[in-house]
Amino acid sequence: MNLAIDVIQALLLVAIAPLVSGVIARAKARMQNRRGASLWRPYADLLKLFRKQDLVPDTACGLFRLTPAILFAVTVTAAAFVPVLHPSAIFGMSGDFILLVYLLAIGRFFLMLGAMDGGSSFGGIGASREALVSALAEAPLLLALISVAILSHAVSLSGMVLCTVQQYPFHLSAVYVFALGALVLVAIAETGRIPVDNPSTHLELTMIHEAMMLEYSGPSLALIEWASAIKLTLIMALLIGVFVPWGMATSASITALAIAPFVFVLKLTALAIAVAVIESSIAKLRMYLVPDFLGMASALAILAVAFTALMR
Amino acid sequence: MIVAGFCFWRGDGLALDLSRLTPFPFALTVDRLSAFFLLLICAVGAPVALFSSSYVERHYSGAKADSMWLLLPLFLLSMVLVVTASTAFAFLFGWELMTLLSAGLILIDGDSERRRHNIFIYLLMMHAGAAAVIASFLLFLPHASSLDFTSMRAAAASMPAGLRTAIFLLSFVGFGTKAGIVPFHLWLPKAHPIAPSPVSALMSGVMLKTAIYGFVRFTFDFLGGGPIWWGYLVLLAGAVTGLLGILYALTEHDLKLLLAYSSVENIGIIYLGLGAALVFMANNAWAWAMVALVAALLHALNHALFKSLLFLGAGAVSDAAHTLDIELLGGLLKRMRVTGTAFLVGCCSIIGLPLFNGFVGEWMMLRSFVAGSELPAISCAIILPLMAGVLALIGGIAVACFAKVFGIAFLGRPRSLAAEQATEVAASMQVAMTLLAASCVMIGIMPGMMVSPLTVVARELLHTPTLPNAALSISHTLPLIAACVGVLMIVVAGFRRIKRVTPTWACGLPALDSRMQYSSAAFSKPLRKTFSRVYEADRTVDVLYANQPYFPKSILYRSVRTTSFERSLYRPAVDAIVNMATRLRKLQTGNMQVYLLYIFLALIALLIFMRFA
Amino acid sequence: MGLIELAAAKALASSAVFLFITLLMMASAKRISTCIVLFSIQSAIMAAEILAMAYAGKSVGAYIVAALVIAVKVVAIPYALFRIMKDLKASQDVASSTTGAQSVFMMAGLILLSFFAVAPYAKTLRLDEDLLAAAVALLLAGAFLMVSRKKALMQVIGLLVLENGIFVAALTTTYGMPLVIEIGIFFDLLMGVFLMGLFVFRIRDTFEHLDVSKLRRLRG
Repeated sequence: MNLAIDVIQALLLVAIAPLVSGVIARAKARMQNRRGASLWRPYADLLKLFRKQDLVPDTACGLFRLTPAILFAVTVTAAAFVPVLHPSAIFGMSGDFILLVYLLAIGRFFLMLGAMDGGSSFGGIGASREALVSALAEAPLLLALISVAILSHAVSLSGMVLCTVQQYPFHLSAVYVFALGALVLVAIAETGRIPVDNPSTHLELTMIHEAMMLEYSGPSLALIEWASAIKLTLIMALLIGVFVPWGMATSASITALAIAPFVFVLKLTALAIAVAVIESSIAKLRMYLVPDFLGMASALAILAVAFTALMR
Repeated sequence: MIVAGFCFWRGDGLALDLSRLTPFPFALTVDRLSAFFLLLICAVGAPVALFSSSYVERHYSGAKADSMWLLLPLFLLSMVLVVTASTAFAFLFGWELMTLLSAGLILIDGDSERRRHNIFIYLLMMHAGAAAVIASFLLFLPHASSLDFTSMRAAAASMPAGLRTAIFLLSFVGFGTKAGIVPFHLWLPKAHPIAPSPVSALMSGVMLKTAIYGFVRFTFDFLGGGPIWWGYLVLLAGAVTGLLGILYALTEHDLKLLLAYSSVENIGIIYLGLGAALVFMANNAWAWAMVALVAALLHALNHALFKSLLFLGAGAVSDAAHTLDIELLGGLLKRMRVTGTAFLVGCCSIIGLPLFNGFVGEWMMLRSFVAGSELPAISCAIILPLMAGVLALIGGIAVACFAKVFGIAFLGRPRSLAAEQATEVAASMQVAMTLLAASCVMIGIMPGMMVSPLTVVARELLHTPTLPNAALSISHTLPLIAACVGVLMIVVAGFRRIKRVTPTWACGLPALDSRMQYSSAAFSKPLRKTFSRVYEADRTVDVLYANQPYFPKSILYRSVRTTSFERSLYRPAVDAIVNMATRLRKLQTGNMQVYLLYIFLALIALLIFMRFA
Repeated sequence: MGLIELAAAKALASSAVFLFITLLMMASAKRISTCIVLFSIQSAIMAAEILAMAYAGKSVGAYIVAALVIAVKVVAIPYALFRIMKDLKASQDVASSTTGAQSVFMMAGLILLSFFAVAPYAKTLRLDEDLLAAAVALLLAGAFLMVSRKKALMQVIGLLVLENGIFVAALTTTYGMPLVIEIGIFFDLLMGVFLMGLFVFRIRDTFEHLDVSKLRRLRG
């Protein structure tokens, strides 16, 4: 029974990912006084791409075609870590947040390599900038999650979520505020949203993630876009699960299980609209100011870890 | 190798005593720790020997090849001697032999002025380190009956704290010089790149680990841990070494120099684990001390495997493309599939990606750091988790560094004619690299077979009956993850789609050439700029103006990086020593009567001393 | 207890953390008006603290002090500062000599230092360690702002934050100073701010700029 729910919630994350992108795009359009495209447009995009040919540059070798498969496989496996409907997941107990972070790193590394395989300057641009952002974002991400893990005395994700769920909202320690601040900044960097990267830009000079997938087309491009949408959704689900998990089904009763999906979708929509608001109100940072941005996240994360000991 | 495997997994010790043959006591024992390092040496030595069989054929001839084949097995034997020695004499004999034989092997490759300078620095620093090690052995003498390991172990328990501290510091400096801790790492980037590739692989993969063996033997076996500041010192050394090593590696474009700096970084990571173990021991948290120690030792093994794989790959690359400058390489994966794939496995392992072996050691280290927060002392509870952040930063920069290496050297378009005409290397070289790559992946997916014997090693060293805890659950999770990823990949990649090969889109330009790709300097520029305080390059721009002011005839841009250590630590120290030596030179006047005066003065001083003593 | 009371109790128990958050945001702020708003929020948090103490101790004096804090520090002084800024037509830029991340790192270091410095006293005197550390951190942060920001108005804000720190320190150690002293301090502060405002206009008129790093004629 538990395993069935775990599988359902992993599939839910994978299936709902393009819808989340659609919601964010629609909310941004509304803020710009446009009507915006339909919420289901990303699904149509994926279908269209799956039916097309796969174009491969002549300099590329097997690694180029293997990268989208690796990225997608790793991201879907990572989605199996995050508790969504109830405080456990397929790898929720046996896996821990360290494994989750490094699994996502596999995808990023191969995406960088695939970008350089194209043999054009744009791949190099994307890869070197992504190297900068990911090198500096890894430390605050791990430190912030470590501070939450220290507080919940558990390293597995389901342990962390369980600890938060069982507490009354107002009994939470103040460390969560610092960890939340650091994680929000890092999440913006990891998922490539404004102010770190513009996901809908056409100017190669401003691209980070887009430049890495510039050479891909057809089903490979569909897999990469889907994988980045899944990554965005799973990081949002992680934030929701660790910081505001109330509403998850803590018991196996039918009512709890029926309410949980609705509550989750509600929270996810609220977070998506928040992302859209942030993206529409702040300008994208110049690339050499991104280390500054991530430095602030690091300072917050270091404070979060220090406070777990100071506020014992 | 059979002996090693037997002792490691079964746990019986072997002993060999040759004292009757030699003037000093000379005995060899293989206990569990030695067996582990013996396994490490042999696991790397066998593929390297296989690799050298065709490498030596192609590169050397006649006397050089013969001396190569003479010295290489002797070098391996000297390392075996070091880890199996059970008397101080045997240990030091092997230690000195290692240095001399490796210097000899480097000398075989040629002795230009620069090479001799580098070898000189190498020998100088190694002997300085050996002096410190000999001193730390000798400090046991007042308390130990003889200089074999069992009596030293027994004596250490009854020594005063000051003596223990002195031994610890001396062994830290001595073994640290050999291992490449940051103030003493200067020889590493000078010696490793100029050696022939199999020798580089052995030096970087195995010789550094003998220093780790020595340090572990001294600190954990003989001295049995100490006050908490020992752990902080080792942690600090490990953090600084790891960070500086990978930052310097990021900016290099000579493949072997980059790998040498990356060895420095990994030694730093191993020292981080050892430092954490010392801190846990000082706080009596034996279970987590065991985990940290296992993590450090496992990372030593993993590093030996993937670093030798990478050096062998570099040797294959230099064989095929006749250059090691990655700015002149490119597109090698298409032309050398086996080498390229093995190198890719090595890169993934060194970064610490899951399903490859580098991840397991780092994971265990991170878990032990997180557990440090449960210690009662507030400073430990803050510092240990923050070290996890340092480890994450080191890992992040390593990803950038090796993405650069593989992306520029193996992917894209070839940047020189030699790279374009590169072909796959000889079969035995390929087999050697594949063996190492396979072992990396195997340990990455099923770490249990290495982790469980290592916990027994740690248990013996720390003398605790405490059982390891759930921190070792990674052995169960990783095969599941591997299965999951594998299944998904097959599902996704299995959908055969129509593929069409086209030229890369060049924004409408007729064609892209290899100069339009990113270069190594360009790739590392963002990170170089972020960490510009560390690098402090000396930049000169010479502009030669022609008649018109905006179109100069030529612009020359030079950026020279002397590592900040050379500038701020070594040069002043060397200058001070040379100054002092010049002043002392005045004592040697050459005048016979002055020398007689010295003897006369010494006699008077002795008489006075005897009167008052 | 009702939900609101629970929320209020929790908010008060972690007011130290909210103070730290305002400090970190002030360190990374790039505009002067952000700093003024953050100062006003800081004062509001302090007023909430005093109200809680007043409610618990049932002392009328504390209520008056809270009202004074709200009137002067949350409303009057920020309003005065905004007026000065509008009349000066100065640019909003906080001319900082450290980048954003460096300021935040230094602020984090100052916060950790204040915890370190306060630890023995809090234990022996049985005080609220968090609030005392917050007080020291506010003091150090005020000094840091004065040192690292080059605009004259930022010097004023740094001084105000420093005074906030002294106030919180008084709150924790003595649970509120006597009412007369409080009123005296408030008037001092108000006068100080108005004088600063006047001087800022004079400086701008004489030197055509408000960059204190350029006011260096007083040299040996």
